[in-house]
Parts: sequence; structure tokens; C-alpha cells
Amino acid sequence: MSSKSRSKRKPDQFDFVDKGANDSDSSESEESVYSGLEEEPDTSEEDQEQSSNQSDNDSSDNDDDEDITLDDKSGLELSTEQRKELSTASDDELNEINDQRYTGNVKSQNRKQRKQITVKTADRPDEYDYDSSDEEDIRNTVGNIPLEWYREYPHIGYDIEGNRLLKPEKGDQLDEFLSKMDNPNYWRTVTNKMTGQNVVLSKEDLGLIQNLQSSKHPDSMAENYQPWIDFFTHEKMIHPVTNHPQHKRSFIPSKWEKLKVGQMVHALKMGWMKPTKAKTEEEEEENFYMLWKEDEESEITRRYRAHLPAPKMPLPSHAESYNPPPEYLLTKEEEEKWQNMEPEERRMNFLPQKYSSLRLVPAYKRFINEHFERCLDLYLCPRKPKIRMNINPEDLIPKLPKPRDLQPFPTAQAIVYRGHSDIVRTISVDPTGQWLVSGSDDGSVRFWEVSTGRCMKSITMETGSLGNMCIRSVAWNPHPDVSLVAIAMGQTVILVNPGLGDKMVTNNTDNVLHSFSPTEEESTGKKVYADWSSIDTSDKRFENGFRLLLQHPKEVSQVTWHGRGDYFASVMPKGDSMSVLIHQLSRRRSQNPFNKSKGMVQCVLFHPVRPFLFVATQRYVRVYNLLKQELSKKLMTNCKWVSSMAVHSGGDNIIIGSYDCRLSWFDLDVSTKPYQTLRHHKRAVRAVNYHKKYPLFASASDDGTVIVCHGMVYNDLLKNPLIVPVKILKGHAISHDLGVLDCVFHPSQPWCSKAQCERRAVCCLLQNKNGFAQQLTDDRPTKLETLVSVGKTIYKCMSSRLSKAAHTLQANDTPASSVNNCWYRQEYGTCLSDNLGSVSHVTAVNNDVYPKNCLIQQATSTKCISDALSEVDKYGCEAKVVDAMKKLGDSPSSADDLKEAYCRASVTAYECVLSVVKYCGVTEGPRTIEGLTQFSVVRTACGAFLPVTTTASPVNIGPIGDLFPKSFFSSSTNNSQVTNVNAALNSGSCQPPRGAVVCVAGSVVLLCVLLL
Amino acid sequence: MADENTPHVQAKFFTKQSQYSIPDTPYSVPAAVGTSELSSLINQILKGSDDSVDAGIEFDFLLDGEFLRVPLDKHLENRGVSSEDIVEIEFVERQPAPKPEDSLLHDDWVSCLQGCKECILSGSYDNTVRIWTTTGAPLLTIPGHSAPVKCVKWLSGDGGPTCRFISGSHDQTILIWEWHREENSVECVHACRGHAGSVDCIAINEERDKFVSGSWDKMLKLWSAAAVAEGDQEEQLEAPTKKQKISKKVQTRVPVLTLSGHTEGISAAEWLSRSEVCTASWDHTLRLWDMEKATQTSQMQGTKVFLDMSYSLLNRQIVTASADRHLRLWDPRTTDGAIVKCTYTSHNGWVSSVSWSPVNQYLFISGSYDTVMKLWDTRSPKAPLYNMSGHEEKILAVDWSIPSLLLSGAADNHLKVFQYNDEKHGT
Repeated sequence: MSSKSRSKRKPDQFDFVDKGANDSDSSESEESVYSGLEEEPDTSEEDQEQSSNQSDNDSSDNDDDEDITLDDKSGLELSTEQRKELSTASDDELNEINDQRYTGNVKSQNRKQRKQITVKTADRPDEYDYDSSDEEDIRNTVGNIPLEWYREYPHIGYDIEGNRLLKPEKGDQLDEFLSKMDNPNYWRTVTNKMTGQNVVLSKEDLGLIQNLQSSKHPDSMAENYQPWIDFFTHEKMIHPVTNHPQHKRSFIPSKWEKLKVGQMVHALKMGWMKPTKAKTEEEEEENFYMLWKEDEESEITRRYRAHLPAPKMPLPSHAESYNPPPEYLLTKEEEEKWQNMEPEERRMNFLPQKYSSLRLVPAYKRFINEHFERCLDLYLCPRKPKIRMNINPEDLIPKLPKPRDLQPFPTAQAIVYRGHSDIVRTISVDPTGQWLVSGSDDGSVRFWEVSTGRCMKSITMETGSLGNMCIRSVAWNPHPDVSLVAIAMGQTVILVNPGLGDKMVTNNTDNVLHSFSPTEEESTGKKVYADWSSIDTSDKRFENGFRLLLQHPKEVSQVTWHGRGDYFASVMPKGDSMSVLIHQLSRRRSQNPFNKSKGMVQCVLFHPVRPFLFVATQRYVRVYNLLKQELSKKLMTNCKWVSSMAVHSGGDNIIIGSYDCRLSWFDLDVSTKPYQTLRHHKRAVRAVNYHKKYPLFASASDDGTVIVCHGMVYNDLLKNPLIVPVKILKGHAISHDLGVLDCVFHPSQPWCSKAQCERRAVCCLLQNKNGFAQQLTDDRPTKLETLVSVGKTIYKCMSSRLSKAAHTLQANDTPASSVNNCWYRQEYGTCLSDNLGSVSHVTAVNNDVYPKNCLIQQATSTKCISDALSEVDKYGCEAKVVDAMKKLGDSPSSADDLKEAYCRASVTAYECVLSVVKYCGVTEGPRTIEGLTQFSVVRTACGAFLPVTTTASPVNIGPIGDLFPKSFFSSSTNNSQVTNVNAALNSGSCQPPRGAVVCVAGSVVLLCVLLL
Repeated sequence: MADENTPHVQAKFFTKQSQYSIPDTPYSVPAAVGTSELSSLINQILKGSDDSVDAGIEFDFLLDGEFLRVPLDKHLENRGVSSEDIVEIEFVERQPAPKPEDSLLHDDWVSCLQGCKECILSGSYDNTVRIWTTTGAPLLTIPGHSAPVKCVKWLSGDGGPTCRFISGSHDQTILIWEWHREENSVECVHACRGHAGSVDCIAINEERDKFVSGSWDKMLKLWSAAAVAEGDQEEQLEAPTKKQKISKKVQTRVPVLTLSGHTEGISAAEWLSRSEVCTASWDHTLRLWDMEKATQTSQMQGTKVFLDMSYSLLNRQIVTASADRHLRLWDPRTTDGAIVKCTYTSHNGWVSSVSWSPVNQYLFISGSYDTVMKLWDTRSPKAPLYNMSGHEEKILAVDWSIPSLLLSGAADNHLKVFQYNDEKHGT
């Protein structure tokens, strides 16, 4: 009850309230406790507060020290009052203790007061008076021990004097509860463990705790955000920060430096020191360094990084089991077979064996071996990653427009022009596009109405007067005001007025031709190349339309008109220097533009605009400027044999068809090489042609097809022509290996007249298939050539009759060249061997050189050659064959093939070595040495061989001289070559043996026969 | 009639032929029905309503102006028509099949022909013009031209005692002939000279006083067809054969008008009206000319060479034959020209000639190099009504001037006559 009253009495005055004291103890005990604990800090505050407390006792800021001050001032009254209460409340024992304590307190109080005096005397407060950090709490002297140890005792420790500090009396739960209810400071009352007393926390303490909890500065008065004073500012001040005067060093030059500079200047003067050069840009650039270390890694380290794991060993199979299934066990035969095999050839390197249990399996003997081998494998065979290129093959194909977008072009056969009874060799369309003219081997020229397929006119040539019936070429005059068709037949060129189309034009043409009167100077002109003769109106042939005849010295294979229609050219392939003639219609004059033959002329064409003439020989196309009379260009066709040629209407592009199945497009502005080569045909290309208006061209071939291509030529010079094959025209059966022989475009419509024409050609061929053999036996060799050209089938039927033909040839004393030409046309090797018996017979009879040429033609098929050679051998024309072989060796298609061919024909053993050495370096020879001894043909070849050997350096020489008869060596008389060889031999470390030597050059075995 | 499960289509039938009219009620027919079943259905309906009608009539059926040629459901599927709705089907009596009647043998290819009442005029590559009766009897063989005859046309063929006709030829002349029927003699009255190429086509106007000719020389020339015209000159025509002397005195006629514009030869010409002429050419164009103003009025661009053209007075449309497999239908009244209204494809070769029916606005015939003549209905673009074979060589000319006869001339020297009975079709 007393505690209650007391708490009521001074709730504000005391922050620290000793609960126990309030309850039971006297005020003395309370004082004593505090005097001991807070002796020192009290001193400063006391003197401050002493004055304030005197005026304001109730201020709540006061510490527990207030008690003391209170005690000092009004302590008497209080203490007496307390004492009354205490005496009444407490029992005797307690009183005793209190007394003792009280006395203690008094003493301490005295000491305090002494200190206070000293503090007051000093004018500056000693800061250490405040600091109690190094002082331990001395109210309880037990030290830092667990206070549980005093749980059993009534006291809690000892004070500095050794007296017991009694535990303050604790109330029971009820008291606790009551105090919780009644005491407003209960929430801030804590127990001091050392003294066991309750302490009420002051407002500052609470603030301090709160600051600590919220991580603030513990001192609530401390300012967290003080204003920033920029003492050493970054700004440049005009005044020095300090007022120190500058040091002398700062304005007096350094004596030491002066000395040093003097030394360096002296060194420079004396040349001991050289000034450093200014850095050039290059040096600066060299400053670059590798950013990534790996780049300059050595190969070895890189290999470490790009490690490839070793290939895994295959897992053991059933056969390797200790108890394999019975089907894996080998039978006795198999086992024997296994034993007999080479270890490398064995399919498995062990014998499957069966054991009844795993215990019985013996140690594997080959364990070390196999592991060693595997290690060797891994070590000796370095693994390397293989980079595979992932290229989509479709990406490599150039993007071409679809044929559908390139219409129009011919697509289907529309009309067949029927009427000819033999192959149709040539066609031509009139400039208006209404008529078509065709020339056939049946000796007739027919004129057709294009739109209906109607034959309007047919002119049959009279064989008696003109010799040969075959129409080789027809050409319609391109000028619309002239109605003339040039027809080449045999040695004649006939100009025919067909009488079709506009009557005015035909009449005018006739009138102009009729009114011609030769001037004198021309009639007395120089050399006459072609004989002009006009057909008289009374002549029967005039009715047929014949107007002019031009008799040529040789057979004419082609006629072509100039675009203006006044000039036309004729080609005589066998005319040598006169192979091309240019005729002028208006003056009836012929010229020979070329003095010298440049090869066999295949065809000629006039440039559509400019005065150029294109002349195609077997391998080249030459462009001549007719005005300047000079060669302006030479085109390399890259093909073996040109068959036909066509000029684009612009004149800057030409196409060339060849017998080796190619079609080459030349852009004359760009290059003399083909701009593009098309190999779509499977057989020889017979004819090519451009369309005059549409961007189309077509090629006709012996494979029975006509391929129509879109060939757009752009005006833009930078743009290459666009070539797209758009259509293959089929429907033409091949007969006698002849397919489509000619093709012509309609001048204004996208129609290709060749398809029609060829169909007709087929019909004719089929009709006359049987006729050929009969005609073969005819006595006209010139006819034979034409017939032979028909192809393989003809050959077959010919072979039986060729001997007869050969006799005929001999009897007629025909020039061999005409028969040679027969062979040129032959393009299929296989039949040659069938026929060669006959051929060699021919050779034997005629003692001429046919096989040479025919063999050259056959160079693509070596099997055939070898067969042929062995066949030829029987007939004793070896020398000629050797000649052929030499030429063949100039273009071997495959070294092995060549060798094979030579070796099979033992007669040419020596040549074999020679050619093989020359061109390939094939290392075979033993058979040929034997061959050498047997055939005298060596002799002829020796001369050719010597220069070859001199170029190789002889390495090793062995004697084979005995193989050769002395007489042989004496036949080799070329001394200069021999000396060359000798020099070569001397330079090498070789010793010439007696008789003859064999030179071995490198890995190539050379056989060399020398006269020493 | 059919299973319950098969799909059915509601169909309503109607016709423009009044004698076959049936009640306007929808019928449910199986979807997969063909023309023969539908035909029998119509026959049954007709029989039910009127006993007098003959039961065995064949009908053709039209959906939206197109003939039914496949089963109904497929037709609907192809056209994207729903089979849920009621389908309106028009039925017409089936065109009777032409019957081959006669084959007239010539000495050479038959290049051109025209019928008129009971006579047939034909031109041939042997330079002659022939007159035949429709029964096949040869009346006259007229030599006169010095080159193959390319075109013949009746100028006046109606039953009078004298008939006149025109022929054009490769010899660049056009001859106007007078044929005295009773004497069976022919006389060349005029020789029209002026073309510098073969005369390929002749077209006579409705009044029969003028005609135009087109030639390979790219020119279109207008001539007077009158018996006497200005500028006629007397001329001695050489008779090419001595056997038959034709008229001694022949007047030369010069063209009234010459129109140029085509870049290639003209292959066909037709009068569209009193003053308008349409020409078809090898330069891939159809051109319209005003003959009074002597100008070209419009042009229609094709893609292929035109070989022939025919104009129908009944439906005012042009059908052309090209140097490909197709026949094309044009309407010259559309101003912007180049629109092909329809393409008829069934031939296998170039279509050389084409001719409209004189009485039926839907029918025309075409002859092709594939030796087949075809009868077409404009409403059936995919398939012709009838194929008429018999020729062994390419057909060069067809004609349908006589409504009951289809004529074709071919390179096998034959002129074939087909009987065609279109009487049931009300004219």
C-alpha cells in the first residue's frame, strides 16, 4: 500500500524508481544504491542542476541524481517521513541492514560533495570527468559471473566494501500484475541484473534505444546532415590557399639540370648521342596487337584445344562372349580357313571359344599387343576434323525465266510438207513469208505455200546436163523486189525465178535479167572464176524458171545471199584457194576474195548490215571486212568441226553449230571465245538459225530434235544476252543416222519451218532406204561421197560392197580426197571395225592413205582403233597406220586407252612407247621391248624418237643393243640428233655400253636406240 | 427412283421453246444425273401433261447459259454452285446430228466454197471454179484464173436466170462472173485488178452492191459490185486454156478504195454493217474499218495469226480461227477491243476456217488441219456438239450458207456435204 502511495506521490520526479525500495525499502537504501553506481557522472550534472533544481523541482529532465539533491536540500524532511513509513512497514532485520547501508551512503555522499567542490573550483571542466567508459560497474563486485550462482542466496553480490548486496524483495505474480495495471511506467521499467533492482528508463534512454533500433546516430542531438563546407574547392582560386611565400627553387633555374643539358648538348655535338627519330605513321600502326590470344597460338597448342576424342572401340559382340551361342562357333573347316588367312585379312582377329563357366576363361594373351596397336593407331594416325561444304546444288543453278514467260516460240508441229521422194537437205523461206523452197536429194526443188502446205511448183533438175542431182543448198533472195532463188547443185549454181508472189516483181526480175548487156571491160576481164550463162527464153528450162547458170570448177556446197540481194556467195569446200566466190548479180561478175586457202570452208555468211563476211572453216570463224579487204576477227570455236553458222539480225552475235554436238554463241563485241556453249544435242548439230524478229534461235540435230532457244540480245551493251532453251521439237524419226538437216524460221511469225521440213525428210528417207545399196554400186564416185555421208547404217550395207566400190575407185582413178571426205562424215566408231577389213583392202588396192584420216576421226574410240589396227595389220599397210597413230597421239583422250590401243596392235609397239612418253608418262614398257625386236617398223619411227629423248635427262642406261641388228643402226643418219643425245648422255652419269642404250628418265621408261 | 441415300438436287426446268413448256415446279433429281436421264424425265413430264407430244425427244440442258456435259453434281462443283439451292435448268431440244450426204470430187485441193440455195460454188488449186448442185451434180467447171483460186463468193444467187459470183485467186485478180443458169454458161464480166498479192478473202455487203477484198499484199480494197461501175475498162482476157473460150470482152475494174494498215497479209474480211468492215490478218490483229470515212476505227489485238473469221448477223459476234488449236469469240461492239469472250478448244491442229450458222445464233462450224470439222454451240466451250470426220487431209474451207447443209473442202480434193436438219428449231 505504501508503494502505491509513493508512486502516486512522485511519478514525475523520479525516472529511476527503485521498485523494491518503494515497496519495502527505505529511501536510504535507494540512495545508497545510486550513490555507488553513479558517483562520477553525477558530479557534473549536479552542479548544473543544483541551481535549476532549486527553482524547478518538478522538471522531468532530472536524473536519479535528483534524489540526492533532494536529499541534500529537503532530505531531512523526506528521510524522516520515509523513515516513519519504513519503520512502520519493515521488520527488524531489514532495519538493521538499512541502517548499515544508510551509513554507507552517507559516507559516499560526503565524498561526492568533496568532489563537487573541486569541480566547482576548476574554471574549465575536465572532460575526463564525464567519461566513465573504462570504469566497471562497481556497485556489485562479484565480477562478470553468471548471476544464477547467487540464485540460492538472499544476496546478489558484494559491494565495494565487502558487504552483501541483498536481493531486492520481489513481489509475487499478483504484485506484478498490479504494478502492470497501476504503474504507468511499467512499460519502461527494466531490471538491472547486477543489482537486481528495477530501473525506469528515462525519455532520453528511450530515444537512444529508438535511434539504435532504427539505425540512426545514437545521440539524438547529433546532426546527420550537416552542411558541406568545401574547403579545398576544385575551382581555381585567385588567391593562394596559404599565405606562404614561394620557395626560391620555383623561380631559380636548376643548376643540376643546366649541367645535365650541357653534357647532352656536348654529346650531341660530338655525335655520341643521336636524337630519336620522330615516329612515322607506319611505326604507329605497328602498335596494333592481337586482341585474342588464340590467334597467335602455335599450331600445336591449337590442336590441343581442338581436341578430337579417339574413336571408340566397338562393343564386344556375341562371338566374343565366353559362352557364345552355337551359331557363332566356327566349324572345323572355317577354323582351318581362318588359320590359313593372313592376319590382316581375317574378318575377326580371334576364334570364338566356348567355356562352361567364367572361371575357366584363361587370361587374354593378346591384351598387351592389341592395346599397343591401338595406341600406335591413335598416335600415328592424327585425327583431323573434316570440313564438309554444305552447298545446296540448286543454288548453283542460275536463275532463268520460265519458258512460259518467253512466248511466243514454236511448240507443236502444224503442217507437214509432203512431196519429196528423198532426203530434204535444205530449205529457205521467201522474205514475205508466203513461200518456202526446199531442195532434196531426189534432184527436185519444190516451192510450197507456207500456210497450207501446198506444193505450188516443183522443178526437177535434169541429171544428164548437170551431172549430179543432189540439191546441196537453196537460198531465197532476201530482197523483196527480186524474185530469185539460188540453187546449188553439183558444180552449178542456178538462179531460178519461181514466178510466185507478186507478178510485178517476177516480171521486173525477168526484165532486169533480160536487159543485162555485158560491158566490154568485164568481158575481157581477168581470170574467170565462174562461168555465167543465161538461159534463153526459148529454152525449155526457161519455163521452169531457170534464169542463170553459174558453172563452178568444183562442187558447191552452199550459196548465201547478201541482205541487199545483189551479191551472193558460193562455197566450194574443195576449191582450195577458190573455196569462196562472191558473185555480183547486176554485173554478172565473180570475185575470189581469198588468195590462199585457210582450211576447208564449211559455210559463209554476209553480215546483215555491215560489209563483213563470216567464213567458217573447220575450227575457226574468220570475219573479213570486205571494204578494207582485211581480216578483222578470228573466232575460236573450240569445237572439232563447224557445221553451220547463223548471224543475229543485229549483226553482233553469231551462233555456230558443230558436228561434236555443240552450239556456241559468240558475242562479237566481247570476245573471240564463245560466250556460251550449249550441249543439249546428243548428236551432231546440222543447222542453226536465228529468227529475224523474235528473240529466238534454233538448232537442228542428227538426234532428230530441234531445240528452240530464247536468245534475247539487249541494246544495252553492258547486258549479256539471255539464253534460255525453251522447247525441244521432236516428232522426227531418225533414219540412217540423219536427223534434222536444216531449219529456218518464218520471217515474221514465231514458226520454225524446219520441223515440218524434217518430217518430210524422214518420209523420204524411209522410202528410199533400200535404194542406197543399189546406188552404191553405181559407177560415179562423186555420188558415192554423198551417199556415204548418210551415216552408219549406210556403212553397214556398204561394207560388203566397199571392196567393189574401191575397185571402182581405182578404175576411175579418183582423187583420194573425195573418198577421205566420205570418212569425215562418219561419226560412229563402232562400225568402223566392221568395215575396216574392206577399208584396208581398199588401201591395199589403192595404196593410198585413207585409214589415216579415218583413224583420226575415230580418236574418241580406242577400242575400235585397236580392233581396226589389228585388222589393218594383215594387209601390210603398217607405215600408214603409224602415221595415223602419230596424229592420233596429238590428241589422246585418255592415256590408258591410248596405251591399250597401241599395245593391242603389236605392230606399233614402238610408237606406243613414244607417244605415251610424249604425252602422259605411263610407266609401261617391257612388252614393247619384245615388240621392238620383231618389227622393222621401228626403223621408221626412230627418227621421230630421237628429239624426244634429248629433252629428257637420262639417268640410267642398260644394254639392249643385242636386240637390234647392226643394219638398223646404220639407217639412222641424223647426226645432229645423235650428238644431242650423246651430249645428254655425257652430262648424265651414265656409261654408254656397246651397241645400244636404254634411257630411263624419272619414272618413265624411255626406250632409246642410239648409234654410238 | 433412286436410293434414299443418294444426294438429290432441287431442279426447276424451263424452256424457251413453247411447244415443250412444262409446269414451273421444282423437281428433286439425283445429283449424279446425266443429260439422258434428265431428258427422259422431261419426256415423262411432257407425256403426262399432253399426250400428243412424241415421247422420244432428246433434250440438252443449260445451266446459266452453259451446256450440261458432265453429271449434274460435277457440273455444279466445277462452277462452284451450291447444290442446296434450287437449280434452274433450261432445256432445249437437242441439235440433230448432221448426216454425211455427199462427197464431191475435185481435180485438186478445194480451197474455198460457198453454197447458195441449191448451188454450191467451189474454188480449187487447179485454177478453176466449179458449180455444183446441192445434190452433188457438177454443173460447170470454169477455168479463168491463172493461179489457184483462193476465195469464191456468190454475189446474187437467188433463183433468177442469171447468177453472179466473184472469185479471187493467187494470180492477184478478182473476177466477177455471170452464170446463165438455163443455158448453163458462164461469162466473166469484170476483172478486178489492183492487188499485188494473192487475193485471200472477199466480203460482199448486204446491199450486194459493194465488196471488199483482202490480200497478201496487206491491202484492203473496196470494189463496186454493180453491173456497171465507173472506171471500168474493156480488156481482152486471155483464156488460159484453149478448150473453153470464155467471154471475149472483159471489163477491168479498179478499186474504189484502198486501205492500208495491216502489217501482214489479210486472211479474212466481213461486213459488220452498211459501212463497217472487219478484217483479220496474219499480223495478229482484227481491225475495224469505216468504209464511208475510209479510216480504221479500232483494232483488236490477238496473240496468233488469224486464218479465218466469221461474223454472225444474228448475235453480232465474231468467231476467229487462228494458227493454233483454238477458236475465239469476239464482240466487236466492245470498245476496248482486246477481250476474247470465249475460247473453244477441241481441235488438234490449226483451225483453217470457221462459219456461223445463218439461222441459229448459237451454232457455228469450224474446219481444221486435223481433218475434222466440228459443230459448236457457243454455250459449250469445252466440247463441240458434233465432230464430222471423213476427210483424209487438212480441211481448207467450211461453209454454212445454206441452213440445211454443212460444207467442207479439204486438201484430199473432196468437198463433203453434210445434211443438217434444224427445222424443229423455230427460225
